[in-house]
Amino acid sequence: MKDFMMIFVGKEYVDLGMSPEELQSRMEKWFAWGAKMEQAGILKGGEALTPQIRRITGKDRTVTDLTSAEVKEIVGGFYLIKAKDFDAVQEIAKDFPDYDLGNTVEIREIMIFDQ
Amino acid sequence: MEPKLIDHLFRHHSGKMVSVLTRIFGLQHLDIIEDAVQDTFIKASLSWRKEQPEYPEAWLTKAAKNRVLDIFRTLKAQKNNSLHITQGTDAIAINELFLDAEIEDAQLRMIFTACHPKLDPRDRISFALKTVSGFSIKEIASALLTKEETIKKRLLRARKAIKSANLQFNIPQGKDLQERLDSALEVLYLVFNEGFHSNSKDQLIREDLCGEALRLCKLLLNHQQTQFPECYALFALMCFHSARLEAKTNVNNEVLDLKQQDRSLWHLPLIQLGNSMMYKAVETGDFSGYHYEAAIAAEHLKAKTFEDTNWNKILHWYNQLYKLQPMPTHLLTMAVIKVQTKDYKTAKKYLNQLQPCDLEQRAYLYYAAKADYFAETKNFNEALIQIDWALQTVSNTSEKAYLIKKKACLLKK
Repeated sequence: MKDFMMIFVGKEYVDLGMSPEELQSRMEKWFAWGAKMEQAGILKGGEALTPQIRRITGKDRTVTDLTSAEVKEIVGGFYLIKAKDFDAVQEIAKDFPDYDLGNTVEIREIMIFDQ
Repeated sequence: MEPKLIDHLFRHHSGKMVSVLTRIFGLQHLDIIEDAVQDTFIKASLSWRKEQPEYPEAWLTKAAKNRVLDIFRTLKAQKNNSLHITQGTDAIAINELFLDAEIEDAQLRMIFTACHPKLDPRDRISFALKTVSGFSIKEIASALLTKEETIKKRLLRARKAIKSANLQFNIPQGKDLQERLDSALEVLYLVFNEGFHSNSKDQLIREDLCGEALRLCKLLLNHQQTQFPECYALFALMCFHSARLEAKTNVNNEVLDLKQQDRSLWHLPLIQLGNSMMYKAVETGDFSGYHYEAAIAAEHLKAKTFEDTNWNKILHWYNQLYKLQPMPTHLLTMAVIKVQTKDYKTAKKYLNQLQPCDLEQRAYLYYAAKADYFAETKNFNEALIQIDWALQTVSNTSEKAYLIKKKACLLKK
């Protein structure tokens, strides 16, 4: 088994003017997905991120403060899971609730450094 | 498996919290309040992904309390001089406003605001669905089969009317109460009818609207000041109609009339609830239109088959209703029942009292009823003339299809 990170990229709920009813139904899908991974014993962790961004860039270390509304895409959160390979994670990522919003899942393997 | 949340928890909680916060900050700050409440649900939807709280409702209420401070800060930052807390500023008083009974009280105030005569009747439903029921503009538009732009305009107009009339956020007292209650019940019944008679293909939206109307009516019944007989009667009426909601359409979303409905699909618990509400409604002997409408609906539900329908009783209730509300649609229904029971003389008497223009855009119902009358009395030529008139005036496509079928039957005679 290897460690993988699923990174969620796209639009934020706060910028989409969702109704309480829609928010609840999306959240329930997230619950179900999280519970499924937990039951399978593969979930190692995960976080949701706030829509505030402080970006530091270039040799002058230029600082810009942004919110999700000002950028095309934003990393909204991530899950850390255990799986056999990329294909297995791809299968798990099928349940990601926000594909219909145009949002994306990026699967990355956690690098192991040999001595 | 994680426990599933209560259906519509967020939606209902939204209405509750907007009402409580409005009680604290006043109707003039509704925009800021709605944004703050929306923010709570976004936060919940993100943080609950990781862990669902043991008591979701308590979590949401606490979050809304925290919003009180946020709103204070926002208003201060805007240097808003009109800020004054209506209920006293100390934290204890604010805490008390979040108790269940006070939340219901605040929601009632919101219902009475939404149904205020100063608001345009068309704007009342949209405003009620938004602020009391927590529907989004998109959801209201699809529920009412209207464009989102139109709903936006209606909401804007409602808010303007509230501001310019400087409406107070309270439950009307004394003489005002009766008049304002009539308007509130009317809005609830309209919301219900939008759901019950909707052509929307989406069964869920129809159920949501009917469910909302029942829920809001229940709020009125929970409050001592608003437990009027007509509230019980309207609640009973909506129970009786709701019991038939599932049986009302077939799999192709075609409307089925009482004759075609599968009566085994009628929902018994709702009928029983309606019956017990009816007992409460008739305690004083003061009958409203809702009483008679409920009595008529109950009579239909009592019949095991369409042929078992007790038309005489139904006609009796229609007569009472017509005395109270002399509306041409009631008279037309009475004529239809008379044709049904083969009392053609009285049917003709009723029909002669009506003009097609009395029924406005529903004139086709008048022509269709006349066609039935002539067909039953074997005057087929006249029946065909009436059907053609009906076809010329009908706009609803499913009604039109129904009339075309009828015409085909007549041509065979």
